[in-house]
Amino acid sequence: MIRLVRELYQYRGLLISLVQRELKARYRGSFLGFLWTFLNPTLHMLVYVLLFTVVMRQNIPNYAFFMFVGLLPWIWFSTSLGGGASAISDRRDLLTKVRFPAQVLPTTVVVTNLCNFVFSLPLMLMLGIAYGQWPTWHVVAFPLVILVQFVFTLALTYILAAINVTFRDLQHIVNNLLTLWFFATPVLYPFSNIQDEKVRTLMMSLNPMVGFMTSYQAIFYEHRLPEAGPLLVLAAISVVLLWGASSIFESRREEFAESI
Amino acid sequence: MQESMDAIVLKDVVKSFRKRTIRGEYTTLKSELVRWLRGQRQAREAGLITALRGVNLTIPRGKTVGIIGRNGSGKSTLLKLITGIYAPTSGSLEINGRISALLDLGAGFHPDFSGRENILINGIILGMTRAEVRARMDEIIAFSELGEFIDEPVRTYSSGMYMRLAFAVATHVDPDILIIDEILAVGDEHFSKKSLAKMTEFKNQGKTIVLVTHDLSTVERWCDLAAWIDGGYVRRVGNPAEITTEYREAIALAEARSAAFTPPALTEGGGALPEVRTVAPEVPSTPPVRLTALDLLTPEGIADRELSPEDRLEARVYFTVEGTCDDAEFAVSLKAADGRILYATSMRLEESRPPPSGCVRLLLERLALLSGAYTLQVTARSAGGSSTESRTFQVGATASEQGVFRPVHRWVVEAANPTGVASQPTEAAPRVAGGGHP
Repeated sequence: MIRLVRELYQYRGLLISLVQRELKARYRGSFLGFLWTFLNPTLHMLVYVLLFTVVMRQNIPNYAFFMFVGLLPWIWFSTSLGGGASAISDRRDLLTKVRFPAQVLPTTVVVTNLCNFVFSLPLMLMLGIAYGQWPTWHVVAFPLVILVQFVFTLALTYILAAINVTFRDLQHIVNNLLTLWFFATPVLYPFSNIQDEKVRTLMMSLNPMVGFMTSYQAIFYEHRLPEAGPLLVLAAISVVLLWGASSIFESRREEFAESI
Repeated sequence: MQESMDAIVLKDVVKSFRKRTIRGEYTTLKSELVRWLRGQRQAREAGLITALRGVNLTIPRGKTVGIIGRNGSGKSTLLKLITGIYAPTSGSLEINGRISALLDLGAGFHPDFSGRENILINGIILGMTRAEVRARMDEIIAFSELGEFIDEPVRTYSSGMYMRLAFAVATHVDPDILIIDEILAVGDEHFSKKSLAKMTEFKNQGKTIVLVTHDLSTVERWCDLAAWIDGGYVRRVGNPAEITTEYREAIALAEARSAAFTPPALTEGGGALPEVRTVAPEVPSTPPVRLTALDLLTPEGIADRELSPEDRLEARVYFTVEGTCDDAEFAVSLKAADGRILYATSMRLEESRPPPSGCVRLLLERLALLSGAYTLQVTARSAGGSSTESRTFQVGATASEQGVFRPVHRWVVEAANPTGVASQPTEAAPRVAGGGHP
């Protein structure tokens, strides 16, 4: 893992350039350009707002804001995994022609989506202010949650990217699994809506995303600090996962150039 | 600190691939499940293809090495191993110096981005830092000759423009070792000349260059060494001219025998070309016959002026002999500025032992070359090795002539005779040459 991270640091120039390029490339040629960074999650949100405030009524105050708080980090997570799965297998042009550490590619996907997430934060804050929800001092915990989620996402992306080189089916499965995962995670509904205590504990322990989402909602929606216990456990899990992901990645990386 | 003298050392390098990769069959969950249900657990390991069967190759620092061989003989695999894209199945690799590989032009180019943006990203992919790319940006743009197109998206470029841009970036990376796979012929006449000049500049800076090509004349003109890869082994390493000759002979022989040209890596035993003749292994050591100096002289003395095509030229080769030497050969080749061999000959000292030190004189009664820069290269070969000296000289001639050489000639003008009886030809004043030089 240390070697993996050290190489990433050595090739940070490449990483930064690739991220910049991805950010620029995404909306290049489109009429609204950079505005799509905001428009995409907004449209996404409007669909759910329509669904849950008009079609299936929910009794949650400031529902649009509540949902946005969870939706943005979820989009970061799901687009990273969805894109990261094929990050290596789609870049045959680079991997078979130039020597560079392969982990740069999935990392680029995660970092690019993190940037998109951060860029769309002002939108979320503005929406909150529109509802009269000013951010409080509790946002100091926000970077920490992002960091833990970053490590967690990175680890999963490495595993997916490495396995997808030999099992191409994975990239198709991932997107469907992510939809299932989305509904199993309290983004559209508050976690406290689940009445059964046992189910809650089970969900919490099986689905790490629950911890992240409740933390974001605690900071921005409930204006309190996220619970330290679950977050620490998540941090530990994420680091262990990254360690495992790096060893899987390392053991397979010599095959990448040959297999894609 | 001076590192090892060799830029690249390969020892018993073997590289095999799984067959499924070569045939493009990806393992999927389905195929794996089907295989598992049928109980064919071993199937995966069965189809191994060995592209390189044990390569031993040492590439000395500062040399230009040409790698030749048939399609599928493992040349590109070898380059990818040297570059580090592939890991060897067994054997060891030692690389001394910063390596830059031009295996493909335009790696990572994005069609929607401008030439300038692509230079940055491509330069970084090829191993430069941002600051380095920025510093060389203007140089790269000037070299690519794209002018104002540099700020247009790359997708609007013609293929020639694309290649020129890619080549411009690739050659501005500043490596110790440059790996090139078949990309020298880029663009039109003018640009390929420029590319060659750039490569020559690399060479003169003492960089190590490894070049894979099917253009044998490039290898002859340009390389210090040639390595012939055949059937997964290095078949021969040595003088480019000798190796390309033998390579051509082997191909001709294989064609004459109508041997099937199957992909070597897929053939049992490697599918090597037939043996042309047995070659004694070269023993590298200090050559017994060493050249100490090479002087070019005109009748007035040392030739330091621009020569004329009618000049008499004498090449004096001074040599020393260490130890015993029974068989020494002096090979002379005259090359044009681009490295093309205009004339080559050799002389063997057969009858007696050469003196401990002496001078071999080659007398050219008439130079006969037209204007340009030329190189005369003399190589002394003996059983224990060889020693080379070369001199470059300039020839000037009148502009009315074109070509390389001026044969002895004269013009005759005859009037047509209707009676059929041959009339006395009116002969132009006999001149040695048409150019008017004495």
